[in-house]
Amino acid sequence: MGFHDTAGLYGAAAALRLALFTFFPALPDLLTSRVEVSTPVTSFKRLQEGLFLYSHNVSPYDGGVYHQAPLLLPLFSLLPNASMYPFFTYLVYIVVDIATADALYQIAESGEAAASKLFTSARKDRRWSGYVVAAIFLFNPFTIATCLGRPTNVFTTCAILHAVAKAISGHPLTSMLALSFASYLSMYPVLLLPPLLLLAYDRQNATNRVDSLVQFSLTAVLAVVACLSTLFTISYLLTGSWEFFASTYGIQLTLTDLTPNVGLWWYFFIEMFDSFRSFFLGVFWLHLSSYVGGLSIRVRSQPLAAITILLGIFSIFKPYPSIADISLSLAVVPLFRHVFPLMRYTFFAASTILYSAFLGPAFYYLWIYAGSGNANFFYAITLVWSLGQSLLVSDLTFAILRDEWEVERPEMAGKEIRQI
Amino acid sequence: MSSSTTRNRKDGPSTSEADATTSSASLGRPNDNNVAGTVPATVTEPNAPSPDPTPAKSSKIKPPPPEQQSHVLRRSLIIASFWLVVLCLGVPIWWRTTTIYRANLPLDQMTSWADGKSCNPVLPIRVAIASPDLTEQEVQDLISTTQSNLDGIPDLPSLQLRLEAAAQTSLEDTPESHGDNSIPLVLRLTQGDGTMSEPMSSLHTLFPILEITYPPSLKPTPETKSSGLATYITAQLRNTFAEEQAILSYLLGSSAISSDRQQSSQHTIDESLSKRITRSMKYSGTYHLTFSLFTSGSSPSSWDIDSAINEYMQPVLDMLRPIHNFTIDTQVQLYAIPGVQSQVLTKEELSSFINAAEWPLSPSIGGAPTINFVIYMGNQTIGLNTAEETSQSWLVPQWGSVYLLSPPAAAHVPSELLKQPVLTFASHLLSLLGTPQSGSLPMRLSTLTRVRSVDMVLRASSSLGSLARLSLALPSISIPSSVAEGVAKSIHHLELACSALGSTDSLEHARIAETEAERAFFEKSMVGQLYFPDEHKVAVYLPLLGPVGVPLVMGLITEIKNWKARRQQKA
Repeated sequence: MGFHDTAGLYGAAAALRLALFTFFPALPDLLTSRVEVSTPVTSFKRLQEGLFLYSHNVSPYDGGVYHQAPLLLPLFSLLPNASMYPFFTYLVYIVVDIATADALYQIAESGEAAASKLFTSARKDRRWSGYVVAAIFLFNPFTIATCLGRPTNVFTTCAILHAVAKAISGHPLTSMLALSFASYLSMYPVLLLPPLLLLAYDRQNATNRVDSLVQFSLTAVLAVVACLSTLFTISYLLTGSWEFFASTYGIQLTLTDLTPNVGLWWYFFIEMFDSFRSFFLGVFWLHLSSYVGGLSIRVRSQPLAAITILLGIFSIFKPYPSIADISLSLAVVPLFRHVFPLMRYTFFAASTILYSAFLGPAFYYLWIYAGSGNANFFYAITLVWSLGQSLLVSDLTFAILRDEWEVERPEMAGKEIRQI
Repeated sequence: MSSSTTRNRKDGPSTSEADATTSSASLGRPNDNNVAGTVPATVTEPNAPSPDPTPAKSSKIKPPPPEQQSHVLRRSLIIASFWLVVLCLGVPIWWRTTTIYRANLPLDQMTSWADGKSCNPVLPIRVAIASPDLTEQEVQDLISTTQSNLDGIPDLPSLQLRLEAAAQTSLEDTPESHGDNSIPLVLRLTQGDGTMSEPMSSLHTLFPILEITYPPSLKPTPETKSSGLATYITAQLRNTFAEEQAILSYLLGSSAISSDRQQSSQHTIDESLSKRITRSMKYSGTYHLTFSLFTSGSSPSSWDIDSAINEYMQPVLDMLRPIHNFTIDTQVQLYAIPGVQSQVLTKEELSSFINAAEWPLSPSIGGAPTINFVIYMGNQTIGLNTAEETSQSWLVPQWGSVYLLSPPAAAHVPSELLKQPVLTFASHLLSLLGTPQSGSLPMRLSTLTRVRSVDMVLRASSSLGSLARLSLALPSISIPSSVAEGVAKSIHHLELACSALGSTDSLEHARIAETEAERAFFEKSMVGQLYFPDEHKVAVYLPLLGPVGVPLVMGLITEIKNWKARRQQKA
């Protein structure tokens, strides 16, 4: 496990991206303006707007266009202007992608997915190496499109996977730091804290072990709180006011920007009666977060599985999802290669996702540009898209549980099961 | 069912293969090989109907082993974790976000205003009597007699005429002396010469003064108690205020105020009055006047409308200033084709003369309602019923007025040519504003002030009443605090208006009260809820919460059942 193993892979991925950036100069801007890639809370165009206001000493949240974390602004203002020298921006996004792939490589190489501390799958030898998993991530068309469209949630993706990788390698505090960054950027990753805590607890280094789970969790939560408060304070000092809370997390909580996206929220809240709007916002958020507790308890023995399933759920049910989210959830699924034979609907799920991936842009075109369709066309296709994803997630959950059950009762392996 | 069996059959070899490779690594269970051997055997039956294998298997397969204690605990924990979210977060959120906020409305006050119990719509009108020829004592006698005469007649129920002796200043005909509106009418009694036998009266054209000249024979003396003159004055006052009373009766009759309070409801409202009231504009503090010149050809292309308005219209506007504000714009449109092309317009054709589709007469600029004055340069005339008689202008109810002018030779319309049209427009403006028709202009305007303020008070009261009824009829409608504020403000201004009914101040208060009441009634968030029956809530909640709720509730029920069963087993 060294860099020389993967250097070729990373080089190829970087070269592919650079080639796309160079030979199709219109492609990044086209993808940036696609609703499937850019959401109001991640769009690169909106980042440019915020950056412009920031560099002119105006609050970046004036005008209600920019809804992203304040700390992205100084980072991007260090880079040369993205419209004149786009190469540097491309470079940043390529590096982030490769860093993400590297985290994935470490996770896969650790073998945590098939053999955690409390559970060892009977099929644990049947797995893909980190090289393959990283390659699947790097050459996934969704990942490439995300990289070209430059939404800012690639940073969140990178932070989440590094948090997982650090937790597995026995660095709980670094892991919590990475999770805080992810939460600071996108808010929803904070829901990953319970399974990540369990993962980090299970994989502590023998040298400085904390045996009490309660004590360990308290320390970790404190670390997250401290880290987030520091980030918030820096943001406050940077923007001079607390308005970034309302403009970044407030937008995600209240869904005031109803720009269409591939998720389920926007259409629902366009149609919602005003008097019930706040209630259903609560319902949707609670629905999103209610899985955390149940999953952490149910697959306690495989925290990485809980994280994988949660990432899938988030990419379906979060307020502003995009293909960046599915590229993250598809990135961690190959870690569970050993349960693939137990999955029942892989063909159906894959074809549904492909079907909607092709029809989605077509229906969006019919609605927005051709005018021969309406919002229902696009919404119907996002429903199919979510159906495909939820099939994948539920099927994976089934396979993981079945795998666990077969270890418990080996005599039932391969037999048909019925719920009783 | 069948699909899953076939799927399983496909999986069979692959899983068994996987097991075979890993069996050495797993804990070496005794019947591992047995499993790998039997699985393909049980599922290779190709076309077995799905219900068939189940009984065959159930006899073969031993019942599942008892659940482990840790699994039972785990399941309870999972169910508890979901219910914890529902109960600790979901229920408070539901409670917080769907409680209907109903601001407290002073319903009793609102209904009492609507029923007319809070305000007696009686206008006190002070009438001063100035009589240079009479002594003070004679005037006092005259006043008391006339007052008792006035109180005796039932014709003026809504007006309360109060006679008083005039202050000395009001005898001079200066504008300053009549500047205050507190005394709407002054009677000036002068003794005529011996030649006249009957008293005569005439209204002053510029000031609210009723001149009465009486023959010396009617001069009040202590003996006669001045009854002859008093009767005459009473009759004159009655005539003067008859129209105002008629309008007030009409307003009161058509408003929601219960009719038992007014004797005047049986008062027959003549048709012309109702017509006149319906054609006047809805009251507004500001009106926008648009003067348009439409020509059938290319000339005339300019007009002296500015000076014409200043000369002929402005005096009227100045007099109306205490009641209304005006903004003015003008336009010239060439090659305008009227809606009716015939040479002589019949009465029926007048209504379609305005070419609303093509003429740029915008409905309203800004918030104020627009009154349109159109001069059409063309050769058309209006044919009236009698063949030889023609007229040139007509009034369009609640819209404006049109004047037909024959085109001059020059391309420029001088101010003199516009005199007649603008004067006509001025008189039409007064009609459109609902000014009464009888009496001198100052009298008509002061009447307009009083009538309008009563009108506004009635409108505001009826809006408040509607709002009160609405909030009682729909218990599930939310009432934002802005509505309560609007109602409070409206009632406050209604009280102020009512305390000084008839004055200019009261008109202003009544106008504010009316605006506030309307705003409260048409509150945006309430209008949307006007039709929202409780059954709709099922449609709102069920599609999402039903599918989510069923597994939650079923899980809870089975868990409780299991728990009970376990307790019974233990016992």
